[in-house]
Amino acid sequence: MTRFLIGAVSALSLLAGTATAQDYPAKEIQGIIQWGAGGSTDTVMRAVTPHAEEVLGGTIVLQNMTGGVGAIALNHVADEDADGYKLLMGAENPLLYKVMGLGDKDYSDFTAISILARGTPILVANNDAPFDDYPGMLAYIAENPGELRFGSTGPGGLPSVVTAMVEAVEGDLDVISVPYDGDGPALTALQGGAIDVMPAVLGASIEAIKAGNMKALAVVDVEANEFLPDVPPVLEFNEGYSTYLPWGPFFGIFVKNGTPEDVVAKLQDAFSQSAEQQAFKDLMATRGFTLMNTSGDEAQEFLTSWQSNTAWLLQDAGMAKTSPEEFGIARPGE
Amino acid sequence: MDALMAFLTVFTQPQLLLLVAAGTFAGVYVGAIPGLSVTMAVSILISFTFSWDVLPAISLMIGVYMGGVYGGSRTAILLNIPGAPSAIATAMDGYPMAQRGEAGEAIGITTVMSFFGGFVGIAVLALLAPTVSDFAIRFQPRDYMLIAVLGILLVGSLSSGSLVKGIFAGALGIGIGAVGMDPLTFTERFTFDIPLLRGGISFIAVMIGMFGVSEALMQLHNIDTPAIKQKISRIVPSFGTIRKHLPLSLQTSSLGVLIGALPGTGGDIAALMAYDHAKRVTKSPSRPFGQGAIEGLVAPETANNAAVGGAFIPMMTLGIPGDAVTAIMIGALFIHGLNPGPLLMVDQPDMFWFIVGALVTANCFMLLFGLTGIKLFTRIVEMPRAVLIPLILLLSIVGAYAVNNAITDVYWMLGFGVFGYFMRHYGYPLGPVILGVILSRLLDDNWRRAIISEREDLGRFFYGIVTSPLSLCLLVAVILIFVSQTPLWTRFRKKESSAK
Repeated sequence: MTRFLIGAVSALSLLAGTATAQDYPAKEIQGIIQWGAGGSTDTVMRAVTPHAEEVLGGTIVLQNMTGGVGAIALNHVADEDADGYKLLMGAENPLLYKVMGLGDKDYSDFTAISILARGTPILVANNDAPFDDYPGMLAYIAENPGELRFGSTGPGGLPSVVTAMVEAVEGDLDVISVPYDGDGPALTALQGGAIDVMPAVLGASIEAIKAGNMKALAVVDVEANEFLPDVPPVLEFNEGYSTYLPWGPFFGIFVKNGTPEDVVAKLQDAFSQSAEQQAFKDLMATRGFTLMNTSGDEAQEFLTSWQSNTAWLLQDAGMAKTSPEEFGIARPGE
Repeated sequence: MDALMAFLTVFTQPQLLLLVAAGTFAGVYVGAIPGLSVTMAVSILISFTFSWDVLPAISLMIGVYMGGVYGGSRTAILLNIPGAPSAIATAMDGYPMAQRGEAGEAIGITTVMSFFGGFVGIAVLALLAPTVSDFAIRFQPRDYMLIAVLGILLVGSLSSGSLVKGIFAGALGIGIGAVGMDPLTFTERFTFDIPLLRGGISFIAVMIGMFGVSEALMQLHNIDTPAIKQKISRIVPSFGTIRKHLPLSLQTSSLGVLIGALPGTGGDIAALMAYDHAKRVTKSPSRPFGQGAIEGLVAPETANNAAVGGAFIPMMTLGIPGDAVTAIMIGALFIHGLNPGPLLMVDQPDMFWFIVGALVTANCFMLLFGLTGIKLFTRIVEMPRAVLIPLILLLSIVGAYAVNNAITDVYWMLGFGVFGYFMRHYGYPLGPVILGVILSRLLDDNWRRAIISEREDLGRFFYGIVTSPLSLCLLVAVILIFVSQTPLWTRFRKKESSAK
């Protein structure tokens, strides 16, 4: 509570401090989380921040700012001064804003402090679904066109990208796509039988799979996952996936371009130390995320290749509103 | 035996007991301030308790949750500003009571009934959790849609006077709720290319404006009338009063648990539905509803606190959050190295019983803190209007700002406040607006999900409804409630009673 009050007071007062690296942080830093309280992005950010605060010797006030697939938060940070006092804590979505027509800014307007971790997608099905594996699902769709219900989280979300990938490899799937607010509600609906198949992130479904409340068809990866060694990777069924995989959602912390280099370095150091904490590593492991903890050129490279892969996948599946070409996003391999 | 020990953990460790108490105390006040929500407080506690052990962290969060849900009724009764959406129904009869000088009595009954409802919720959680959660996840999009339709029908009972005006207000609310980027297709609706509108209009800002600011403006009309003298003789309701309302409170508590356990609905809808239920089943309320009926306090307050226990049901048995707060708690359990999911109750039954124990403790502390200091609080209403009106405005502004730390929300709040003032002036009820905003997304999203699932075929959609017993029950309820509000039914009832 005190933390919140401090934040509220400092937000009201107009402290226009000029930042130099020695006295950074001279006031509270604000961390704007793109997604709502209780979601995976929120949990990851709230877990990584406390130790980074210790290293920095300052306070980071976290705030959830939802709406517009995270674009509200991104634009909010982009409109502030590039002084390192506003951090954007987000997921992969902004890299698709341009092609999906959700905004004209993305992570290219930001400098990565840390790409913390990435997740692995998995195809799960309701226990009563009339098939038990990935080939069985494809066969069922072929025999019963327009019957199977796939969960989705709207255009550009993980399920839509995975579905596009499956279609790119296996040909068009005649299924019904039912949109939900997020993978949590969709997985709930899957267990209740409202949808039959859901492409979800592994961490969100792993406990329900282990308990036998839903069945795993395949992990959307090049190899089996260490947390679910019995579930086959899709690559085992079709070599075509090698073009697109590995692919997965990720979490990262960003500051606006133009932030003083020494401030960026300080933040990068703090968050990288924090992400190396055993407690954080354990959390990532239990939720099925692969720790990345990269920054600088390596992070930039990751973002560029992720964006070009995914944007072109959506373009080829006919889901993109504007061609990635318009924004100078190169086709993978070009 | 182990279960009993785990259940008693909180009572045997003074540190945990203290944390639950501190949490509950803080929760009551966080809940009472409009704009400061329990969700917000609990998510701040995640970082705050990061380095703690899991039991103290959870104890504190549970305290805040329990206290916060109750706290929302405070400002609703005293100032007509619901501290949280789940206290909207409480304002409808609580505030008129305060205006009659019975604020102490209103708070007293609210506290005892919240305790009762909270206890029913916890009892169901402890005894029937797996059964209820199996039932709750069976709700399909079409069932959620039917619940929303049931909710929309409450417009009738929330609008005193002209039904047409009530329907207008409800439709306006649904419209406000639709503003922003549609979460299912990411299409912009009613945004007029203004980026700020993409995120939608903050529902809390609308609520604070409509209730708080419009109330302050209304009071300007009689600024010279002396403040209401509060009777402070009776605060704790007599046993007779409680016994009299026992059947009603049991019904509304059960309703609260069920609505709370559904992953798509929470305490706000539960409280409004309970209010409507009370209006329907109470033959002779202590006073007409809307003018200070005790039943109008009993129903929403039992329901919203019962929804707390309800929200834990899918969380503990399936790892599915029952509402926003339990969603954050799931995150907290992850951070502390537990795996909340279907296996939690099998692998770590102690955790389940510990949470039940902590809830019971928090519920008792809520009763204790709720009943103390009431006299002090009723003084607020006794303040001269020249002090009270600026206070309401200040509280409204701070509250609206606190929702998102955004000044835009303050403008929305003030705008809707002035609008609400004119609505009141011309006899338009405000309750249905808020109802509309709450139900807008529930209705819209689930209708679309339901019809998309049936390949946009209306025939298949209705076939689905009549072949599922659950959907059929809900449909029958919708039809019955609808018919009972038509003139045809009223005439029929009149004839029947005169024949006797």
